Amino acid sequence: MPSPDQRQRLAALRETIADIERKPALAEARALVEQQQGEFPRLAGGLLQEMFTDERRNAGALLGFALAQAKGLLTAQRLAVVYLQLGDEAQKLGMPYGPGLLSFGFDPDALVLVRAANVAELLWAAEEAIACRAVAAVVADIGSHAKLLNFTASRRLSLRAAATGGSIFLLRYGQGREASAAHLRWRLSPARSAHGRYDAKAPGALRWLVQLEKGAIIKNQTEFVLGWTENGFATFTAQRRGTDRRIGGTTLPRAVPAQLADGLPQTA
Amino acid sequence: MLFLPSWPTDYLKRRDGQLQGPLVLHERIKGGLRLAAVDAEAARRGLSIGQNLADARAMVPDLTVREMDRPLLETAFADFADWHSNASPLVSVMTDVTGFGDLVLDITGVAHLFGGERAMLRLLLTRLRDLGYTVAGAVAPTIGAAWAVSHFARSQVLEQADLETVLDALPVQALRLAPAQVAGLTQMGLKSIGQLRQRERKPLQARFGVSLLTRLDQAYGLIQERMTPRLPMAERYAERRFADPIGLMDDVLMTCHDLAIQLSIRLEAEGQGGQAFHLFLYRVDHKVMALSVNSARLTRDPEHITKLFSNRSERLEGEYDAGFGIDMIRLAVSSVSELDAVQLGAFSHQGVAEDLDQLNDRMSSRLGIMAVLRTQLVESHIPERAARLVPALAASNDQARDRAWPLPPRPLRLLPVPEMVAINAEVPEGLPASMIWRRESYKIEKASGPERLGAEWWRSGQRLQLVPTEPPKKGETPPHIPNLALFEPDAVTRDYYVVEDAAGRRFWIYRQGFHRDGEPAVWYLHGFFA
Repeated sequence: MPSPDQRQRLAALRETIADIERKPALAEARALVEQQQGEFPRLAGGLLQEMFTDERRNAGALLGFALAQAKGLLTAQRLAVVYLQLGDEAQKLGMPYGPGLLSFGFDPDALVLVRAANVAELLWAAEEAIACRAVAAVVADIGSHAKLLNFTASRRLSLRAAATGGSIFLLRYGQGREASAAHLRWRLSPARSAHGRYDAKAPGALRWLVQLEKGAIIKNQTEFVLGWTENGFATFTAQRRGTDRRIGGTTLPRAVPAQLADGLPQTA
Repeated sequence: MLFLPSWPTDYLKRRDGQLQGPLVLHERIKGGLRLAAVDAEAARRGLSIGQNLADARAMVPDLTVREMDRPLLETAFADFADWHSNASPLVSVMTDVTGFGDLVLDITGVAHLFGGERAMLRLLLTRLRDLGYTVAGAVAPTIGAAWAVSHFARSQVLEQADLETVLDALPVQALRLAPAQVAGLTQMGLKSIGQLRQRERKPLQARFGVSLLTRLDQAYGLIQERMTPRLPMAERYAERRFADPIGLMDDVLMTCHDLAIQLSIRLEAEGQGGQAFHLFLYRVDHKVMALSVNSARLTRDPEHITKLFSNRSERLEGEYDAGFGIDMIRLAVSSVSELDAVQLGAFSHQGVAEDLDQLNDRMSSRLGIMAVLRTQLVESHIPERAARLVPALAASNDQARDRAWPLPPRPLRLLPVPEMVAINAEVPEGLPASMIWRRESYKIEKASGPERLGAEWWRSGQRLQLVPTEPPKKGETPPHIPNLALFEPDAVTRDYYVVEDAAGRRFWIYRQGFHRDGEPAVWYLHGFFA
């Protein structure tokens, strides 16, 4: 029978090990982010990121944000991004368009489109794709509420992603948030574009308003106004906060961290 | 050649044990119900094909009558034919005379496995007779001769030396002729093939057409006749027979793995790899299930092959039915070509593209080939034609693109079908000011355009060709031209605008056609920008 002191130390050690095992990718990413201050961080691979937007009509911006991050993960060894969509949601959300990808700055050859028949197959394909060492990122576009995409499924995906070093981006729509094991959760909305250089009436460079809802990865900052060029993100200072109340800091129904048997929080 | 004269009735009797007694199948021919198939017992009591159904009922009061279902019988016979590929890999159904009943097996180089041609024929015939089929068979140097002998003589093996003497004695019907041709020959008094062969060829051709001479030459082997095997020709295969039939899919997959290892050892020794793999499951009750998978690049990796089949099998689910069990499994490979062994390096990048192709294979095998796609850019200014989605298995990566051109703004997502929107503009030809789409209204704050995309002028004035025009028939002089609208480039010219609403969402919309006074403009939404 070990003494209480020993037991306490054992428990502390177990906790440390659990933390390392559970979120190695996040710990790594945090170290990387701390070097880049103020700017929107270039996140490393191995993360499961949920990206929410309130309405389906923002689908273009959401895909843009995911592909912009995925582009940073493409290397000579990881040369593909797999995009997953349910076959019957193509008309609702639109499909990635080759010339559009080109003008966005993403090579269409690097994108593999998968049209799954149902959510079960989509999740299977996501796991299968992230297990491949040639895949830099998996972008799963799920336009409707899916029962199968529960905490267990997201936990599986997050472990897979952490093990193989590729990132998974779950594109979700709506205001509801469920318990999930995602490392990061973003909420994105399009913002008014920049001033057009030659034509004041024309849409200028794109702007997104991005909020980090979950995952303490960046100190003191959870909100960014981002721009995108072919070479990477540009960060702008947020201006006129609170003019649009929906985008400003509303209280969202947050997920309650799930407590598993070992008493350690899994979702925080 | 195997000939099953009463296959339809035998098959139905075997399928349904309740059917008893004299059985006939009827069919509507020229407005009357006539017999189309007669079983052995009914034939013994004087019924024949082509007889009136009412007459037949009067002659045999206890007759069992069913309607003839040709598509069902044809598919059943095709399955039956596939099952015979356990005797020879090249099996086909001869459909010259009827859709079922004639089975052609190419047994070149196979017969010795069964102890000679005679023993093989005996084996095939007895095995079918034990199952209750009436069957006759013949082995002959030509397909025509085998057909003639199996239909009009006793079952036998015909040597090349005896070919002429045996064929000469057979009636002219044995040449697979049309009924009109047979009637004409009978009129001329030509009853046997020998008599026909002595006549001058030119008058025969003039009177009966070239098909008569073709059939004659085919029977004697003067010209070649080809058969099209039903199953893909497998160059290499591995197979395993089971003493007891197996049923579980897991067992099948384990066997598949063993066979894949056997096959890969052989392929490795020959320095070859394959792209298409087929798994044939021979059921005890004469059915063959075939599963096929494809691989994007040449492979002989047994793990990969097994993985593809296990993915493919998960897509089957309800379709998989082992019936009474599977007694033979064959794994065949086709599209084989040279594959050199490569040294795998721990730090090299060369395996990466291969990994990606294997991933695409796996996903295609489970989700379907049309579900895993790549974009291929096409040189076209029409937006929906500028990108084409092709199966990732078939896509080629080497696309030359001219990157020097400035890229016009194109949306990140495109709707497969453009959706109609209502647009208000301050001046008719000005920039859009508001939009209603999917029952929500948007105030448009910024817009740029138009980018005018014209239709293909080189198609102007053409009619749509929905169906190929038929050549005029006799007595119908003016060929019928469907009165379809002419293609008008002006009507399908589009003016594209990039618009941004108050919240910053950016859409790609277009107006169909030119603006004309008094006509309402038709607008569509085509895509979303990031």
